[in-house]
Amino acid sequence: MTNSNPIISLDEVSKWYGNVVAVNDVSLEVFQGITGLLGPNGAGKTTVMHMMAGLAAPSSGTVEVLGQSPRGDHTIYSKIGIMSEHEAVYGFYTGRSFVELAAKLYGIDPIGPAVDKAIERVGLVAAQGRKLGTYSRGMRQRMRLAATLVNDPELLILDEPLNGTDPRQRLEFHDLMRSLAAEGKSILISSHILEEVETLADRHLLMVSGKLAAAGDFRAIREELDQQPHRILIECAEPRAMASALVQSEAVDSVSVEEDGSIMVLSRKVSVLQRLVPKAAAERAIRLMRVEPLDESLESVFSYVVER
Amino acid sequence: MGPILALSLRQLGGRWRLSITILLAALPVVIASIVRLAGADIEDHFAPDILDRMVITAILPIVTMTLATASFGNEMEDKTLSYLVLRPVPRYHLVLPKMLATVIIAGPILAISGIALVLIVGESGAQMAVAVGIGLFVGVAAYSAIFTWAGLITPYALPYALVYVFLWEGIVGGFLPAVRYLSVRGHSLAMMYGVDGTGFDRYEDLAIEFPAAIIGATIVIVGFFWLTIRRLRNMDVP
Repeated sequence: MTNSNPIISLDEVSKWYGNVVAVNDVSLEVFQGITGLLGPNGAGKTTVMHMMAGLAAPSSGTVEVLGQSPRGDHTIYSKIGIMSEHEAVYGFYTGRSFVELAAKLYGIDPIGPAVDKAIERVGLVAAQGRKLGTYSRGMRQRMRLAATLVNDPELLILDEPLNGTDPRQRLEFHDLMRSLAAEGKSILISSHILEEVETLADRHLLMVSGKLAAAGDFRAIREELDQQPHRILIECAEPRAMASALVQSEAVDSVSVEEDGSIMVLSRKVSVLQRLVPKAAAERAIRLMRVEPLDESLESVFSYVVER
Repeated sequence: MGPILALSLRQLGGRWRLSITILLAALPVVIASIVRLAGADIEDHFAPDILDRMVITAILPIVTMTLATASFGNEMEDKTLSYLVLRPVPRYHLVLPKMLATVIIAGPILAISGIALVLIVGESGAQMAVAVGIGLFVGVAAYSAIFTWAGLITPYALPYALVYVFLWEGIVGGFLPAVRYLSVRGHSLAMMYGVDGTGFDRYEDLAIEFPAAIIGATIVIVGFFWLTIRRLRNMDVP
């Protein structure tokens, strides 16, 4: 498989549960290398990953993983390693027997060397004989990762794998992911914390409110966001004085005072505007009642990217 | 299939489930022992009546539903089912060991209880013991298939199972003879009567035809086995 062929592709995929739309008309492609799937909690990342893993069927649209539908053919799992975001484990198993169970279900024979290698890769050789119930959260995550790696999959789908890990474990995780990518594996990692995967991933997919908000490398995402003006509503004691103060700023594309006395600002540099508004109000002794971004999805994306 | 059977036995063979199973299974044995020790005059139909009204109507379904609804139900609740379904194994390799685990745990305990009952009251020959063993094993297998499926369908499998057993197997089956063809109780009683008609002549009016019971039980077991596989293929796994 070459870099130009998508490893995973979603075409106009939606998923709803009753009246709740979890994923709304998402089309995306994941290529070889490390891809970060980012977004705030509740953005739809896990639902998208569940559909990629074949755990959930899309309500509409098509999902293809390694050129086939992930649902209906269990043999596809011999090529994919999937780690769900749920951290529950069989607490009565030792770390090693948990990985051995995975190895047996993958049909690996003999299982010993594969289990040894997987546990060694996550750095839990010393703790492999202990019961999972006694592990810390970070250790459990790493042993779950070992069970995901034990069949040496060509594609890894990891949902919030860094939950519960400490900074040192994160660095080790980064090293491990880089070495796996260097071996030619494709890796999709989700996170709601941008800095966790910002430096790790070659490409990012940004989801907000069930939609794909942006895709590309991190700079491209920032540029994409900067190109779209945001609408910000301001309510204050002296709207005309405030409007004239704001219109002079480079951060503001346009300002209008509405009939009800509120101010509508269009801006491509909301972070600058966020600092400017209270400063301008304070300098002119104008009482601010309300400052609210109206484009919720863009605001969320913006907050997510900028206020990290 | 072996690793999943071992896992399922470990999950279902926990202390409290095993304790409940053994305690319930011991009840008829305790009652029979008390009656025997009291020196009371034991009538011929004592053991068949206890087997029908206590073991087959109540203890067998309760024990089996406690185990079988948990076999997939607990995996769903704990969100561990993905460790099994995200592996390259056919779905029947997941379903069969889950059902077997219930049969392996509940079957011998209930069969021993039933056999001990008929031995204690002193009515039995080997044929009656075999009949009890077969009848109870068939009941466990059929209920295991039904309740394993139920555990995958709803998180409220246990209360639904109780209602089903009480209404369908208990009340409706008692009033409408035709329901016995579609009832696990009907199949179990017919198996016992079919294997030992003399020992279980008490069931003459209750039991459906032996071949019909074999076919009916097979349909229930295979049918719910298939439904469980289908459900596992089509459901959204949490």
